[in-house]
Amino acid sequence: MLEMSKTVSWLTLLCVSVTVRGAPAPICPHGHPGCQAISLADLFDRVIQHSSRMHGLSSDLHSEFEQYFIPNKIQIGTRRCHTSNIVTPNGKENATKLAEEELTEVILKLLMAWGEPLAQFHESMTQHADYNIYSSNKALEMSDMVYELRNGVQKVAEKMQLLGIISNLLNGQDFLEGLDAVDSSEIFSVDYPNLLHCFRRDSDKIQSYLKILKCRILPENGC
Amino acid sequence: MERKETLSLLCVLVCVWTQATYTQGSTKVPEDFTPEPIVLPHFTSCRSREQETFRCWWSTGSLANLSEPGALAVFFHQNNLMPIGWQECPDYTATVENECYFNKSFTHIWTSYCVQLRATSQNITYDEYCFTVENIVHPDPPVGLNWTLLNVSRSGINFDILVRWAPPPSADVQTGWMSLKYEVHYRVRNASHWDKLEQESGSQQSIYGLQTDKEYEVRIRCKMSAFDNFGDFSESVFVQVAPIPTKVSVFPMALLLVFGVVGMLFLLVLIIFSQQQRLMVILLPPVPAPKIKGIDPELLKKGKMDQLNSLLSSQHMYNHDTYREDPWVEFIQLDLDDACEKNENSDTQRLLGLTRPGLKGDDDSGRASCYDPDFLPDTEGLLAAHSEMEERHPLVSESSPSTPSPELAETPFFPVQSQPVSQSWINMDFYAQVSDVTPAGAVVLSPGQQNDTPSKNPVDKTKKEEEEAGKEEEHEKKMKLQLLVVDPDRGYSHEVIARQVESSGAPFCSAPEIAYHTLPPEPAEEPHGWHGEYLAPDGEAQMAYFLPEAPPASMLPPVSDYTVVQEVDDQRSLLLNPSARQSPACPPNPIKHLPSMPAVPVGYLTPELLENLSP
Repeated sequence: MLEMSKTVSWLTLLCVSVTVRGAPAPICPHGHPGCQAISLADLFDRVIQHSSRMHGLSSDLHSEFEQYFIPNKIQIGTRRCHTSNIVTPNGKENATKLAEEELTEVILKLLMAWGEPLAQFHESMTQHADYNIYSSNKALEMSDMVYELRNGVQKVAEKMQLLGIISNLLNGQDFLEGLDAVDSSEIFSVDYPNLLHCFRRDSDKIQSYLKILKCRILPENGC
Repeated sequence: MERKETLSLLCVLVCVWTQATYTQGSTKVPEDFTPEPIVLPHFTSCRSREQETFRCWWSTGSLANLSEPGALAVFFHQNNLMPIGWQECPDYTATVENECYFNKSFTHIWTSYCVQLRATSQNITYDEYCFTVENIVHPDPPVGLNWTLLNVSRSGINFDILVRWAPPPSADVQTGWMSLKYEVHYRVRNASHWDKLEQESGSQQSIYGLQTDKEYEVRIRCKMSAFDNFGDFSESVFVQVAPIPTKVSVFPMALLLVFGVVGMLFLLVLIIFSQQQRLMVILLPPVPAPKIKGIDPELLKKGKMDQLNSLLSSQHMYNHDTYREDPWVEFIQLDLDDACEKNENSDTQRLLGLTRPGLKGDDDSGRASCYDPDFLPDTEGLLAAHSEMEERHPLVSESSPSTPSPELAETPFFPVQSQPVSQSWINMDFYAQVSDVTPAGAVVLSPGQQNDTPSKNPVDKTKKEEEEAGKEEEHEKKMKLQLLVVDPDRGYSHEVIARQVESSGAPFCSAPEIAYHTLPPEPAEEPHGWHGEYLAPDGEAQMAYFLPEAPPASMLPPVSDYTVVQEVDDQRSLLLNPSARQSPACPPNPIKHLPSMPAVPVGYLTPELLENLSP
């Protein structure tokens, strides 16, 4: 059932991602000459918008859940997330020091790591009679967005590779599979407040990394 | 059970009371011992301005020995992959008291920190505070707040402004490290309540609906998107716009108003004058003239006969029922009380209408009667009374028996029988046919209709008898054409129910003795009362004919229809159906054909018309 939902969501997300691109211009498969491609800047903008939206949703859900589960000080200090083992730059300097490829990798890793847990979170939410429909919808949207964003960032990475900005990442499929392998071994917490707290943090990370990446690859005024 | 409850309640009350007294007692401790709430050293806040560094502040509390500098120490611990353990504050700010500053190298975003306030000398931890840096970010206030006037309303009362600002310089917005949202507040100067505008992520916002006579104060603050910590407010900016004197004067408006009113009045007057007549009609509707339903009175006065005929035929004027109730029908009163033989002849004659100088045709009654003057004196030959006809008969009525002669004389008109015509209006029964006059003076109306009204007096009884007999006859012989010639010289107008009637033929003149044919042969003998004729309503029943010879009732030919005057011969006798004169027995009369009147319409035969008819 999960796999069914997964495939269904994949399909819907593919469609949605196509529509999300939104532009009347057709999607160019792997840089096919002659078709009207979306510029990298537009891609980045779209992806950053997505990540902001995702972060906003996670923040909303977290504050909603915090009403029911108020953590004490100790809990805040000792929180563990299932993505804690992913090495992420912890500051602006660290992030800027990181290579673009690595930064992209980190982003993708994070996105990969959160796909499954959020889907499960949404499922369990719908099963509970206590949770209201708005939170459930937000959770669903959040879960979908993770997949969308993953596809988007992959497209960005491909584009960057095409343009020669970054060296070839690991072959797309293998890379993803490698990430998947990392994922499945992790036992993510079913503790929802903790889960939401973790995701809130990670979505902030993703957003910030994407912004830094864009600033570095497409230097504009002030970057 | 109740006892236990009461006991426990009592105990509780006692306890409370004792405690109260105890506390009261404790408060009565002498004043030198004033216990103050002990405040331990604690962290007041930790904040980051730009998400790259952060600071923590603490308070020493109320303990005197700890307020010395250096008595307290801050230790922090990062919850990251590298478990270093507790570290002391990297930088105690020299300029600010009780502040610990963490620079960039010590600040790790997305990492949970815990800071502890410990006594340096003792191993006591007074306070601990855990956080993540992104959650304690309070951005600096925006800078460069200024405003520009957008527009002023026409009335000069309101105006709009555009407020601009710049993000705080410490926040790295360009790289996107921090995405800020701004909130603008404004209020009337020195008011207590601030109005807030929606948060924007841009660098400008408009404020609408400010009033020119007031001075406003505007300020702004910001926070990180998706986080809840607002920074401090910026410096307030004061906004004031001088009210512009309104150039719009009142004069044009008043003028416009006056013009408008005048125009309206003018229009109204115009309308009234142009539509005067209509208005009069609407306001004072004219009294409608009486008229027959559905028939134009003008037409009745001046219309052609055929038109009238068609009109009236299309109407259901001669409605059986309505006519029944018609009061004017019963204007003829049979004087039953005076019934005596001595009036016999006079009655008869009256009925027959033979020697009636005062015979006047009733305007409203239609008479089509035919009688033979030879048979006039015979009272028995008079028509069988028909109670129904009596009612309908304008001449025969019992409501006023005291009215003898002229009305009574007018009674015996013998409606001419006619073939039942398909015309629907023939179905009228408002003319009764006097079929006989009894010696008692009762008028016997010919039976014609089945639904007879109950008789009111003995006359009716006789009538009924005759009527029944007559009905039998009538059923046998339906088509009888009879004519009662009435002297038109009498000068009365009578109703002419003229219609194309076709006589049955042979039986028409088959009873010559009865002589239902035209009356003319001896007009001089008896100046008949009138020339009148009926048209039988329909072929059903009307049988009113005058039998001067007093034939038995059974022999009464069943006259049931009224017929139309077709011709008037030189002797001024009205012929009903000249075409039916086939039998030689019929008295041949030189007939003068009526001048092109094949179907005389129902209506009053006015004297003018009669003149046309007469030779």
